[in-house]
Amino acid sequence: MATAGMIIRVVILPGILLLCVLAFLWEWLDRKFVARLQKRHGPLYTGPAGILQPLADFVKLLAKEDIETTEADKPLFRITPVLLLALPLVGLFFIPIATVTGLAYFEGDLILVLFVFTLLVITIFYAGWGSADRFSIVGVMRSTIQMLAYEVPLNLALIGPALAARSLSISEIVQWQSANGRWLILSQPLGFAVALISLMSELELTPFDIPEAETEIVAGWQTEFSGRKLALIRLGEDMDLVLASSLLVALYLGGPDGPVPGLGLLWFLIKAVVVVFLFSNLRAVFARFRIDQMVNWCWKYLVPAAIGQIILTELLLA
Amino acid sequence: MPEQQPSLDDSFIIPIGPQHPALKEFEYFELRVDGEEIIDVSVRLGYNHRGIEKAIESRTYTQNLYLIERICGICSHAHTTCYCQAIEELLGVTIPDRARYIRTIVAELERIHSHLLWLGIAAHEIGFDTLFMYIWADREIVMDLLELISGNRVNYAMNTIGGVTRDMSPELLDNIREGIAKLESRARFYKDLCVEEGSVMQRVVGVGVLQPEDALHLCAVGPTLRACGIANDLRKDDPYAAYDAVSFNVITYDGCDVASRMFVRIDELIESVRVIDQCLHCMPPGPHKVKVVRKVPSGEVVSRVEAPRGELIHYARSNGTDQPERYKVRAPTLANMPALRKMLVGGYIADVPIVIAGIDPCFGCLDRMSLVDVKTGRNWIWSSDQLRRHSLTWRQQA
Repeated sequence: MATAGMIIRVVILPGILLLCVLAFLWEWLDRKFVARLQKRHGPLYTGPAGILQPLADFVKLLAKEDIETTEADKPLFRITPVLLLALPLVGLFFIPIATVTGLAYFEGDLILVLFVFTLLVITIFYAGWGSADRFSIVGVMRSTIQMLAYEVPLNLALIGPALAARSLSISEIVQWQSANGRWLILSQPLGFAVALISLMSELELTPFDIPEAETEIVAGWQTEFSGRKLALIRLGEDMDLVLASSLLVALYLGGPDGPVPGLGLLWFLIKAVVVVFLFSNLRAVFARFRIDQMVNWCWKYLVPAAIGQIILTELLLA
Repeated sequence: MPEQQPSLDDSFIIPIGPQHPALKEFEYFELRVDGEEIIDVSVRLGYNHRGIEKAIESRTYTQNLYLIERICGICSHAHTTCYCQAIEELLGVTIPDRARYIRTIVAELERIHSHLLWLGIAAHEIGFDTLFMYIWADREIVMDLLELISGNRVNYAMNTIGGVTRDMSPELLDNIREGIAKLESRARFYKDLCVEEGSVMQRVVGVGVLQPEDALHLCAVGPTLRACGIANDLRKDDPYAAYDAVSFNVITYDGCDVASRMFVRIDELIESVRVIDQCLHCMPPGPHKVKVVRKVPSGEVVSRVEAPRGELIHYARSNGTDQPERYKVRAPTLANMPALRKMLVGGYIADVPIVIAGIDPCFGCLDRMSLVDVKTGRNWIWSSDQLRRHSLTWRQQA
């Protein structure tokens, strides 16, 4: 019975199925938000208010021709789209969504999730390198350089909640927040801001969409992918958005904690929508950075801010 | 332009074109890069060549009105104005005053629509899609005005040899007055926005620098030249239509970069509104066209117009029939092409789209091709049949 229960939890709720629904839903929300900010309508026709558009796009891509160039490194080219979808899913299993604990948890899973973020960039690097295309290679170079800029502030910022809760487990940080009755965004607003901005560059959202800057290098590292592979990459990106928003909710906004207990999933979703809205809003109001400007900016402002937050947290705890 | 010899070093080549998301039309820029820095650029023209000059020479003067309207979708009025001026000069016809004013009003509305379009594209090139959507939404105001005037959003077909095709009613003038007042306030808003928004300024200030002496030496024209601090505007220097009767400023900035080109264009929006306003006030009553004969006496003429992108030159030679013997179009983008290479070299790959967009290129206007052997300097002409045969053998070799 225990095994059957575990399988249901992994596959259906709050497992892969829910996460896929969330991924499509978040993409739709993001597209809708940004469209409204840009005086557009966004998805409109597929389903009520275009809510099924991301799913329709996914199905359409699955059915399209899958082109592999002769120059491409076939094994890398085939395996990376799968990894790009699987990795965010792995990360999401450690994040408490419906209850105060994730599907899996152990002391140190925060480090694992951070490692997943790094692995994603490395997978992107191999995806672009494997496609052996000029635009892809410039794209992955930019992607890796960008990682050097945002990873340090991201990790520093996400260590803040761990310091406050004296635990490296995301589930325990969530439990600490509901036990203490205050969300960590109140004591660490600066850390939240740094994490939000760093995750934007992880997700390659404008102004950090440098690795896939359309007008400069076509689709960047994604240029050669098509059909099923592109569908998986797109779903992986949506899953990445789910992972990023869930992580912020868990670490800074108390996870499934809410005024009425027992409705954990609902509170979690409301908070995650707020985070998605923050992402969409920020991505609509800036022009794209140039890679040198982005690295400069991250090391000049984000890293000191993250360090400042840690010092403040330590002083408050002491 | 001659093809550059392929060098044997191992530098990385990034192709921008013939098809590329940053280019709205086909052209080829071969970037030789070192990391993100551009070492050299080779520009290849001819991908959008349509043989319009030849087509003009085999049609009558009246038919050519429609063809010349379609040289460019954005500055169609500038092209027809230039054509009509040339033919009117050959015919020795003076057009009615009212036609001169109507030509000026439409020309300035076209300038507004072209500059707003450019501003939106520029925002898109630096990844600021929200600004792009906002600007293009406001561009609808001027598109609607043009539709009210001529019935068309582009290709207005307003010019005809001997005047303009349509008159403007007093209600229409009121509509225009209302519309341009809105446009002026939006132009001021966008100027403030661009100055205040740090993420825009850091992508355009100091990018694509063209020194004034280079600009003069390489014959740059239009906003590209005026952004180098050189006041050069045909509307002032060699007034045509009703430009001698209105007062306006020639906008110059001396930053020599994309930011200056941007501000020149935004300020020109406001100046255009001023010009239209004056034209609306002092437009004389009377006929809007005169009848002309179909056959043009032999002679040759050069006609110049300040198109939104810069100085546009048309040359016509007639031989007494109803068809031109030789017709030549020198579009402003062609004049700006040599300067483009100067702007790109030494910059970053990320700056390429905005620098290319910075001259407001219109490849449809400019494109032409000639066959030159770089080694011997021999120049020849192929018939379409020979061209086809060449393409087949080329494909077999590739």
